[in-house]
Amino acid sequence: MKAIEFHGLTKFYGKHRGIESIEFSVTKGEIFGFIGPNGAGKSTAIRTLLGLLHPSGGSAAILGHDVVNEGVQARLKVGYLPAEVDFYPEMTSRELLQYHAGLYGLENGDIKIEELAEYFELALDRPIDDLSYGNKKKCAIIQAVLHEPEVLILDEPTGGLDPFMQNRFFELMESLNKMGVTVFFSSHVLSEIQRMCDRAAVIRDGKITAIEDISSLLSKQMKKVRLVLKKKAELSLPDGFQNHHSTGTKHNFDYVGPTEVLIRWLAEQDLVDVVLTEPDLESIFMNYYQR
Amino acid sequence: MNKVLYYKELKRNRKNTLIWTSIVVAFTFLILSIYPSFSQMGDQMTELMSTLPQEYARALGMDEGTWSSIIGFYSTYYGIYITLLIGIFAASTGATIIGKEERDGTAEFLLTRPVTRSNIVTTKLMALGTLLAVVYSTQTIFAVLGMNLFGDDVLWGHFVTMHVHGFVLISFFTAAAVLFSSYLSPKLNYMGPVVGMIFGSFFLDAIAKATDAVSWLGFASPYYYLQLQAESGTLEVNWGSCIVLIIIALLMLRAGHARYLKRDIVG
Repeated sequence: MKAIEFHGLTKFYGKHRGIESIEFSVTKGEIFGFIGPNGAGKSTAIRTLLGLLHPSGGSAAILGHDVVNEGVQARLKVGYLPAEVDFYPEMTSRELLQYHAGLYGLENGDIKIEELAEYFELALDRPIDDLSYGNKKKCAIIQAVLHEPEVLILDEPTGGLDPFMQNRFFELMESLNKMGVTVFFSSHVLSEIQRMCDRAAVIRDGKITAIEDISSLLSKQMKKVRLVLKKKAELSLPDGFQNHHSTGTKHNFDYVGPTEVLIRWLAEQDLVDVVLTEPDLESIFMNYYQR
Repeated sequence: MNKVLYYKELKRNRKNTLIWTSIVVAFTFLILSIYPSFSQMGDQMTELMSTLPQEYARALGMDEGTWSSIIGFYSTYYGIYITLLIGIFAASTGATIIGKEERDGTAEFLLTRPVTRSNIVTTKLMALGTLLAVVYSTQTIFAVLGMNLFGDDVLWGHFVTMHVHGFVLISFFTAAAVLFSSYLSPKLNYMGPVVGMIFGSFFLDAIAKATDAVSWLGFASPYYYLQLQAESGTLEVNWGSCIVLIIIALLMLRAGHARYLKRDIVG
């Protein structure tokens, strides 16, 4: 059984497209990235998955439960961390988390609330309205994990957290993932996706443009190669090499293709020095985005 | 019904309910406490009433006959102020009890919990009914106490009829507010439309009573069907109108409920 499945999920706001024919799935136990610029449709996809928006077409399921017809069963196993934190301003964090625990029917809620508040250094008895955005975000993280969900849906999760708390958050996510929790991680902060995720889908203008393993995404992409030969020579460049420039014994070019092909070719050359520049996810993402 | 949500709604609205209950109870007691002074005025009262324009007195149910008993005196103020005050409380609470979650952004929190939308809307409507019942029954209890304290020979049959009619009217306006709010943007301030709806209905009926030429206007007002003042000394529960208005109110709640189930929470 898949943790999350999108089957041609489509959402139009009147004539405006939010998302169209989204088709992919997330395996149980995976940390899956969902990459796209602002306005690409990430939040629309998540909101439709959680039943906040009604799909215009297609379907989606969480742990086998259709999100429209079996929404309660689906949401029972989901922890959701929204991008924007809007809680009841008149409540304290403790009251909000107790309310959350009540809606999930948790019996040992108070103990877990204390434990998680201690981990995130959150003052539980201050009104939410008096909390900084970062502390509201901590409260949001706690409510997302309090009921021990099997699937975590995180929408731009680290906004407002200082680097120290971001690190704690990632550690918590990694430890939950080791316990079998599936994490669906939507972000435009690509370094976070690179750090956390096994696979990622790229969304652009409401459509999925790529679904790749992060490692494969990185390995298949362009590498900048700079090499120095012992003697000036003409190079015979196989497929995948482009933008070749040379000055004396120094050569610069871009390479797109399997890394092992590049390594084999380099081994055949009479080299003094070689520098390979690995692309970061940002440039890979831009590459997809420009397609 | 979801008990956790139900008690949270009661708690969330308790301050507002307490304030409105205090206002209505204080006003009820104030009206009843001044009745003994009016009743002792005798000829002066007759003279005062004769100076009022007939249309004005008819529109607001003020005449010497009506004010000759505590129940008549109370019914004038009950019709003008008390039903309006409780109506505004109930209808404004009805308009916001669901829409407020959307306006404040908390709908995202609530609707992503494992509770169906239908259950959420039903629970909120149950909480609304409870709040209305609390305000209305408290006012009624204090009105009974006031009648016993400041008047004698109270026509309890009239009192019961007024309160039954008043409750049906308020419930009708509350249901209408729930329905309107389900179609309007949650970012709107509902207070203006709610007050307008209740005052508009009241004055439509008052104008119809005052001027025979436009008496047909009264048909458009729920006040027309459920009298709150004794006419020709009689006031009986109009069960037919009560049942029709309750059925319309239930249909409006049903339509509002259905509308909320289909609504997108855009964020």
